[in-house]
Amino acid sequence: MSIGPALVSILRQGSYLIASIHTALDDSQMIRFQEDLIEQIGQHRSRGVIIDVAALDVLDSFGSRTLRNIAEMARLRGALTVIVGIQPEVAFAMVELGMGTGSVFTALDLEEGLAYLSSRVSSSSALST
Amino acid sequence: MPKFGAHRTSDVSDAPEERSEVAALMPMVRRIVGARVSDRAAADDLVQETLVRVLAAADRVQPGMLEPYAIRTARNLIASGWKEQDRHKRNQHRLVDLRPPAAPDEEMLQREEHDAIAQALAHLSDQERQTLLAHEVSGQDTRSLALEQGSTAGAVAAELNRTRARLRVEYLLALEGTEPPTDRCRPVLRALSSGDRRRQREVGADLHVLECAMCARLSEPLIRRGQQREDEVRIRITADGDIVLARQGARELADRIGFSRTDLTVIATAVSELARNIVRFAGEGEIFVELIEMPRCGVRVVARDAGPGIADVEQALADGFSTYHGLGLGLPGARRLMDEFTVDSEMGRGTTVTMTKWRQKG
Repeated sequence: MSIGPALVSILRQGSYLIASIHTALDDSQMIRFQEDLIEQIGQHRSRGVIIDVAALDVLDSFGSRTLRNIAEMARLRGALTVIVGIQPEVAFAMVELGMGTGSVFTALDLEEGLAYLSSRVSSSSALST
Repeated sequence: MPKFGAHRTSDVSDAPEERSEVAALMPMVRRIVGARVSDRAAADDLVQETLVRVLAAADRVQPGMLEPYAIRTARNLIASGWKEQDRHKRNQHRLVDLRPPAAPDEEMLQREEHDAIAQALAHLSDQERQTLLAHEVSGQDTRSLALEQGSTAGAVAAELNRTRARLRVEYLLALEGTEPPTDRCRPVLRALSSGDRRRQREVGADLHVLECAMCARLSEPLIRRGQQREDEVRIRITADGDIVLARQGARELADRIGFSRTDLTVIATAVSELARNIVRFAGEGEIFVELIEMPRCGVRVVARDAGPGIADVEQALADGFSTYHGLGLGLPGARRLMDEFTVDSEMGRGTTVTMTKWRQKG
């Protein structure tokens, strides 16, 4: 697993984490990604998480569920999650399969995702102060 | 081609006026068959067959009715061809042998690597060698071999399979020019060579291959055996990672006949669900993907395992039914994604799921 190019990257951008999946992940890699991401939210005290899934070939029931779990865990850790880059054909297959991302917010691309986060995160932090 | 047709028909009847009348039907028959059968060779065969039948019936058919008779005949022939093919496809999985088929290149390699083979043969017992040579070289059938040995044809065939499996292993070892490093290598390689899953588990083949570098290298050609055809792909499913391999294999194969990107993803998603079911419930199994042309272009996926089986298939196909911590979308979801979907399951024997996606026209 340690050889070859990285399967995912988790980058810090201010108070956000930008997690990109670079290739198709199998189930255990997906679980490891989930663990890494949740851990880093705590490490970096992140307020928002963007998960870029543009490179995923398929979002089947397991993949969708894992993304939902990540978003829920991140929420419990105080971070807001946005999923970006779901490809049109992947979206089609997810709907046909009967899957969705539930209540998790989605955006078309990274830019939209960041815009959404900054509108939500700054307003909620403004309220709390 | 028309020349050939005229020649064929002249074998059947000598009456020249009938012959020309039937030959005149040829373009029309060709059009009817061509509209329904895409394969050129199969279409030509059907045209020939139709004309032969029409000609044979020509003196029984009322004058002027020859044309409708030919149309009907052509349609019937096409329909019965499809029916037969469909029946064959539907029952195919019953005949499936989970062991990989014998490699067609064996004979060629025997010639090329004569020394290695001779050396490998020397490792067999006299009895095994004699039986194998009698069957493979002299062409003696298993029944007469069984008579000689006071055994049954089935037992001889099984024995031959085991001998071949051993021979493959010894051949590879002879090519390497080494002896295996541990006592466990030979049994493991033989189990892999024969494709006998139970034996592989008994000798701990999977684990050993991970531990032993030489067995890892030698087992590759043994496991890959029989994966030469272009229009099909077989993926062994034993772990998480194979789920990804299976869906990518299916996607690549389906891509060759021009499925849309959306359909490719749909197929990959359905394969992913079935492969995961195999890993979750049976531990291991295989996904077999093939391109089909009849009655339409499409891709067929067969997922099989020798796992515990599904107690209630109806229930498993219902949304939200889940026996592990999931969403219960595996089977019903895959069914929604594909055009055709059947589940064949027997408790304690395993499960076979067959699903098909047709390619949209255009």
